[in-house]
Amino acid sequence: MIRAVRLGLLALAGLLAAAPASAHPHVWITMNTELIYAPDGSVTGIRHHWVFDDMYSAFATQGLESKEKGKFTREELADLAKVNVESLKEYDYFTVVTADGVKSALNPPAPDYWLDYKDEVLTLHFTLPFKAPVKPRELKVEVYDPTFFISFELAKETPVRLVNAPAQCKLDVQPPRKLSFWEEKKLAEEATDNPGNWGAAFANKILVTCL
Amino acid sequence: MTGSARRSDVARCILLAAGMLLVFAAVDTALAQPFGMSRDAAPPEVGGLAGWILAKQAQFYLMLSGTIRAAKSDGSAAYTLMGISFIYGIFHAAGPGHGKAVISSYMVANDETWRRGVALSFASALLQAITAIAIVGIAAVLLGATAKAMGDTVKVIETVSYGLIVLIGLRLLWVKGRAFLRLLRKEPEAHEPAHHHGHDHGHDHAHDHAHDHDHAHHHHDHGHDHGHSHDNHHDHAHGHSHGHAHHHHGHDHEDEAHAWGHAHGPEPQELTGKHWFRRGLAAIIAVGLRPCSGAIIVLVFALAQGLFWIGVASTFMMGIGTAITVTAIATLAVAARRFAGRIANAKPGAGMLILRGVETGAAVLIILFGVALLTGYMVSERLMGV
Repeated sequence: MIRAVRLGLLALAGLLAAAPASAHPHVWITMNTELIYAPDGSVTGIRHHWVFDDMYSAFATQGLESKEKGKFTREELADLAKVNVESLKEYDYFTVVTADGVKSALNPPAPDYWLDYKDEVLTLHFTLPFKAPVKPRELKVEVYDPTFFISFELAKETPVRLVNAPAQCKLDVQPPRKLSFWEEKKLAEEATDNPGNWGAAFANKILVTCL
Repeated sequence: MTGSARRSDVARCILLAAGMLLVFAAVDTALAQPFGMSRDAAPPEVGGLAGWILAKQAQFYLMLSGTIRAAKSDGSAAYTLMGISFIYGIFHAAGPGHGKAVISSYMVANDETWRRGVALSFASALLQAITAIAIVGIAAVLLGATAKAMGDTVKVIETVSYGLIVLIGLRLLWVKGRAFLRLLRKEPEAHEPAHHHGHDHGHDHAHDHAHDHDHAHHHHDHGHDHGHSHDNHHDHAHGHSHGHAHHHHGHDHEDEAHAWGHAHGPEPQELTGKHWFRRGLAAIIAVGLRPCSGAIIVLVFALAQGLFWIGVASTFMMGIGTAITVTAIATLAVAARRFAGRIANAKPGAGMLILRGVETGAAVLIILFGVALLTGYMVSERLMGV
């Protein structure tokens, strides 16, 4: 009898544990990213162009004043851009940079960030300077939201560009793999031991190798 | 049965109670991973099912935007939208922030019936839809407020709602914890081998003959006084039928039954008739006050398309879908609680202790949820991330 109760409660626990999937994305971002190089071949910054989905764009522009209905100029969106960029700080701009296996620190965006509005969607443009420029053999940039509230997707056409990179640098872009059911299960089990890494599985990886 | 065997039985039961609490704690961590992690690194999930639910949610959510656009020119798309919203609600409720955990724990702690679980789930889900509609309706439609202003409003509402969850948990803990302690202190006296045997038999009997007239009357009276589930009626029947044969025993039981009744709340009249709803109202508000960010985004998007009313209808469909999932999960919790209750009746002393322990644990769990949400350890859904 007692075993039966225990089984029943375990089943319930299992169900409760399995069912509450983490928050699914409520914001979709299609990204274009540029890696900026200095003349000496070191990486100095990451320039992001993030295109938001139409639902979120409608939500974010709600109540904003504009001269022409349904259109927003860069100036009219300046305040919103400020809020966006400032609140992104808390999330480290969803950008993780590793230079030869060492995590690189990024400074808050340079002041020339802005939002524009085209075809009913918002695009956020901003540049993250490196705290100290790096010149690694292997540079890895990952963009993802660990909580998976925001889904990042690489743009279909030229998602990543190297700006003024030395000729010997090679770019490799890896979109998140589509996981099979069993891979997902395994990942989830690992995530139990290593919480907070769930979203990493959906990371967009940018690899630059300079030999 | 010897005295020592009896004692080891009790020990086993206490161990089991501890085990159940651990299970609940495990549920809690699986739900939230609330402690020992940074606030942004929110819930990773368990099982492949989670991944599948996640994918489905995202898929249906993405379909919403296209369908709302289509509804602008094609009236029949509105029906499609209702269907998608409903299914989205079902999947989405599986995500955090829709009160499954709080409602389930509340049901376990209060020993509520299945029907009440359905009512609580639906009421809270509908309230959640209404809050979303009210926020967008008042802020965006009437006041022309910005997304940031809405986000700030939601933040205030969230804090109130999480605070309420903590209060509900504290009140339950006060009531259940005291009953648990009272029982714990009394525990040793209640066990004498001979009586134990008598019990098992007596119980089965009472159970089988629940329709016996005399007894039925008795039950009714108690049912009214204590607003109680069947399990508890049996206890009363039990105490009564044994009262004559084993005088001592009848007394012990009377006390336990007493603990049962009062455990539900300090006011007996609060437990009768429609009062359970009033009691549940706090839970409904605590859970339902916090609007779903998805619903708010969908409503604002619909508004931008000039289709606010379609957004409203879609939000209600999401609410119904959500309620169905929450009901299903709460039902499971109630079933497990019922099952434990039946077994507890077969093992009066220790069984009761386990039940009390589980109820107290459920109350603690509610507090933990509330605190985790309040302090931001458990992020249910953020609205203003970007």
